[in-house]
Amino acid sequence: MKSLIYSLSILLILTIHGKALGQVYKTEKGSVEFLSKASLNEFTGKSSDLNGLVDLDKNMLDFYIDLNTLKTGIGLRDRHMRENYLETKKYPYAEFTGKIGSQINLLVGQSKSVIAKGKFKIHGVEREIDVPGKLTAISDSELQLEAKFTVLLSDYNIDIPTVVFYELAEDQIVSIKAILKK
Amino acid sequence: MKKTILLLMISCLPLVVNAQLERKPATDVQDVELIFHAPRHINLLTVEPLDKKTLQFAIMHTFGTLDGGIQNLYGLDNGANIQFSFEYAFSDKFSLGAARQSRDKIYNLYGRYHILKQTQDNRMPLSLSLMGGAGVNTSNYSFLQENNPSFTDRTSFAFQIMGARKFTDKISVQVSPMLAYFVDPNPIFLIEGDQNLYLALGFSGKYKISGKSSLTLQWIPNLNNDLRNNLGVGIDLEAGGHVFQMYFVTSQALNEQYLLAGGNGVPGEGFRVGFNVNRVFATGRRKSN
Repeated sequence: MKSLIYSLSILLILTIHGKALGQVYKTEKGSVEFLSKASLNEFTGKSSDLNGLVDLDKNMLDFYIDLNTLKTGIGLRDRHMRENYLETKKYPYAEFTGKIGSQINLLVGQSKSVIAKGKFKIHGVEREIDVPGKLTAISDSELQLEAKFTVLLSDYNIDIPTVVFYELAEDQIVSIKAILKK
Repeated sequence: MKKTILLLMISCLPLVVNAQLERKPATDVQDVELIFHAPRHINLLTVEPLDKKTLQFAIMHTFGTLDGGIQNLYGLDNGANIQFSFEYAFSDKFSLGAARQSRDKIYNLYGRYHILKQTQDNRMPLSLSLMGGAGVNTSNYSFLQENNPSFTDRTSFAFQIMGARKFTDKISVQVSPMLAYFVDPNPIFLIEGDQNLYLALGFSGKYKISGKSSLTLQWIPNLNNDLRNNLGVGIDLEAGGHVFQMYFVTSQALNEQYLLAGGNGVPGEGFRVGFNVNRVFATGRRKSN
């Protein structure tokens, strides 16, 4: 009897694993870009270290990025961003975990607009947001995700330097593009 | 039965593991950044590096002594000693700079090389940089009937090792053994010392009081002469890419050699107001565009 339970459990573990592997897409090299469009100064910050998971069985998404990898093109600005604004030593990641509203079944070459609802966390503050995006099945084993959303810095208690120059916009436009593989 | 439950729980584990990605940092070793706000801290150079292909501009002023009171607007009427400096980074470790101090019309060429960088995991507990510089006094001494100093006589050299550590998010300290050498410490120069060689230990301290401001301290005890020691206290303010540094200091000297040989007033009545502006310019193509 005992051995039967064991073997059943092992079988269960295997099936769950197998099923999970079925529709799970992952990446470690997705790209993220934010655009700060202030009146006098416009700049972008980029990273290509977006880690992501899309599970089409559970309609689940999970993304995170190490904020230390964001580069704006000016080293000093990056350092100030890390130390004074994002405080990456305390809060190293920006994270999004959410669900896609509807069941997705894509054939190769097809794409579909989706809305992901979930929790976005940055600078230690977590908020419910909706992220509109587009999923494209590039091949049997590759899924492309594109998404764009706006982050209001004050929602996440991120300071804006206003003393002398307006260098940072209050709302940051975040774009994501990633090719996830099975 | 217990075992069954346990096994069921274990069998659910893969679900949990798959539900979210494990958060892990992109790099193992991260440097400690912004030990100081700028490559300058009151009058001393720091371990703060410049990024490759960036140009740092600093304009530094020190005014007359405070003891004239409001009559002389606390020394601001007495004329400032001004130093401009441009420092360009050829790599993330090496930069070359040129500076000109108005007192004695000194032109200085200097370089900084960053050897070690403090890391967040503390495997490297401090940052270490070297600085070397050479200057020439270009004042017009033609009023002297004889012994007009030659070019060689007008030169002076500086060398220092800067060792710094950010102890906490708020407190950073730098210790800099310093050396200055004057080929000819001519009394006509605006220095108090009469030796060729000056040795000193520079201490720089920073205490962060908010995200963009810090209290600053500078103390430079002399090691081989009887000149008074340099003392400075001030505040650093960061504003939109500029670092403003305001301070009280006992010497009007801004050039490294003159800081050691120039002599100092007594803290308090001999204090002067000083003011630096630091700005970094990125040159070349930006990576993000």
